Amino acid sequence: MLRLLATIRKEWLLLKRDRAGLALLFLMPVVLITVMALIEDAPFRDYQELKFDVLTVDNDHGRLARYIKEGLESSGQFTLVDSVDGQPLTTEKARQLVNEGDYRICIVIPRGATAAIVSNANRIVNDLSKRMGLPAVQPVKQRDDSLNVVIYFDPAAKKAFKSAIHNALDNFLTQVQTNLLLERIQLQLRRKNAGAADTDTLDIQLKAIGLQEQATGPVKQIDVIYNSVQHNVPAWSIFAMFFIVIPIAGNMIRERGDGSLLRIQLIPGSYLEVLAGKMLFYVGICVVQFYLMILVGIYLMPQLGLPRLTLGHSYLAAFIIALGIALAATAYGILIGTVFKTPNQALNFGAISVVILSAVGGIWVPLEVMPPGMQFLGRLTPMNWGLEAINDIYLRHAGTGHIWGNAGKLLALCVVMLWIAARIEKRRIS
Amino acid sequence: MIHVHNLHKTYRGALEPSLSGLSFRFPKGSIAGLLGPNGAGKTTTISILCGLVKADTGHAEVFGLRQDLAHRESIKRLIGIVPQQIALFPQLTAMENLEYFGHLYGLKGRPLRAKIDAYLQRFGLEKNSNKEIYKFSGGMKRRTNIIAALLHDPQLLVLDEPTAGVDVQSRSMILQFLREYNQQGVSILYTSHLLEEAQSLCSEVAVIDQGRLVLQGQPHALIQQHPECRNLEDVFLHYTGHALRD
Repeated sequence: MLRLLATIRKEWLLLKRDRAGLALLFLMPVVLITVMALIEDAPFRDYQELKFDVLTVDNDHGRLARYIKEGLESSGQFTLVDSVDGQPLTTEKARQLVNEGDYRICIVIPRGATAAIVSNANRIVNDLSKRMGLPAVQPVKQRDDSLNVVIYFDPAAKKAFKSAIHNALDNFLTQVQTNLLLERIQLQLRRKNAGAADTDTLDIQLKAIGLQEQATGPVKQIDVIYNSVQHNVPAWSIFAMFFIVIPIAGNMIRERGDGSLLRIQLIPGSYLEVLAGKMLFYVGICVVQFYLMILVGIYLMPQLGLPRLTLGHSYLAAFIIALGIALAATAYGILIGTVFKTPNQALNFGAISVVILSAVGGIWVPLEVMPPGMQFLGRLTPMNWGLEAINDIYLRHAGTGHIWGNAGKLLALCVVMLWIAARIEKRRIS
Repeated sequence: MIHVHNLHKTYRGALEPSLSGLSFRFPKGSIAGLLGPNGAGKTTTISILCGLVKADTGHAEVFGLRQDLAHRESIKRLIGIVPQQIALFPQLTAMENLEYFGHLYGLKGRPLRAKIDAYLQRFGLEKNSNKEIYKFSGGMKRRTNIIAALLHDPQLLVLDEPTAGVDVQSRSMILQFLREYNQQGVSILYTSHLLEEAQSLCSEVAVIDQGRLVLQGQPHALIQQHPECRNLEDVFLHYTGHALRD
């Protein structure tokens, strides 16, 4: 125990003297997660959450235009802009503004759009009336040209964004047309039943079934949204924890180079105890890093206008996973420190391998948006095991019973890497 | 004290063996010099004696204990090693280094602190005990390197070129200490390329070359046996030749 505690103290003294190393371990990750959360805030927000300025050119001035405008505004996503610099928008001007990237969307409602919808509804009602033996009395335009509500998108707009807007507008158009049709049917029925007592109570309810979102987990309200903070804080915390490989590997190579490792090996007693002390120290550092970044997610992020990090309900499960990640990261550092002979080799390989593993493991972007092959590879990385487990805890409210799979994989990886490191060291000595 | 018998060692991937049947014996209580040109096999021999490296064949004994898995830890307790490198943590102070290595030997508290203070004073380092090692001069580093091997009161002190790169004053202090330490009953095994130093310090020397023993005896006796040689260095060159060993 004395050897273990002495080694922990020694590592602490070495780290304390290395101001730059301390800053790298604690300050840089805080800066990293803050910057990443800020940068990725907008891309991570649902388009439903964002508010866009929408140029609207109303050449119709009818019911359709009014309905579309009211619908867009009531959704809360859009701010309608129908004049620029005090001048009413024209189609050409609006198209130019969108093309230049000043606005992301423009909707042009063509002249006669409302009339075309009314005429179409009348035609359907007349047809139905004929079949029911009633007179076709609704006025219908003789020539019915096909009309389109035109949308212009910023050329840089993403496909998902375009699709969301398309769906929203399509929904409004369908609603307007359906409502008009129902109105005409009601009108026709009133005519038929003129003088009947129940005329005024005639009401057609089209929407019999609605949609309601409910929570899947034990918590009843849907309170956790997968936002920039919820992704970036755990994800980049794991990334930063794995960067512990650089000080560990550098430390081990220096100790081997300056002969202090040799002296330790010449002292009676198991070297494993010394290694355990070193490992415990760095595992502790990793866990402190993790919780420091969690505190940043809880207290600093909201100050920057970002959502607050939600922690789920099982602090023990989160601690177990933090410990698992720390063990895997520390063992990886020991392995790198054993394999490579110079600090430069270890630093370059360590940093690049952590970046690659993080990219593949879903730290930078969620695994779900990657191609299937990369998703498969990503699921083999410790970063992904850690991130999945944390998402389970924070987003899906999982407890200790649900994280053992990923925790077990992290621990197994730690054991395998230490075993390989021990084999290499033994081979080197022999 | 030390007995090596027919040691053979070829490192993995090496073209030449490091040791080719090396055998010698040093008595208890002696200051023994293990001498040889670069690549002669001195460090490999010390590594085998300490249990760091396993011989391919042959065996080594320290105070009657055969260096094998069963006795490795016991032998480590008997030996204090001063490696050729400054085997200390440069960012730690002398006191922190010595406390750490003392703790690894299972020493703690006041007895450890008292021992460290005494050695720091003996080696003229008491005023610099709280200075980081990287700020030390070469001689100060060498002296601290020696103290780290003494904390557990070894019966055999093994020093691999302990005076390399130090000034005359530091060397004189180190050699004086080794003589005094030997007079307390501690055996010393010492390697060096400084043959004049070995001649004045050692009660017995073994010269090895290309992994074999070429000469063993008391320095003055060896010089007397070779009338054409004025000193131990001449004897050494007589047996090992003038060819460079790069």
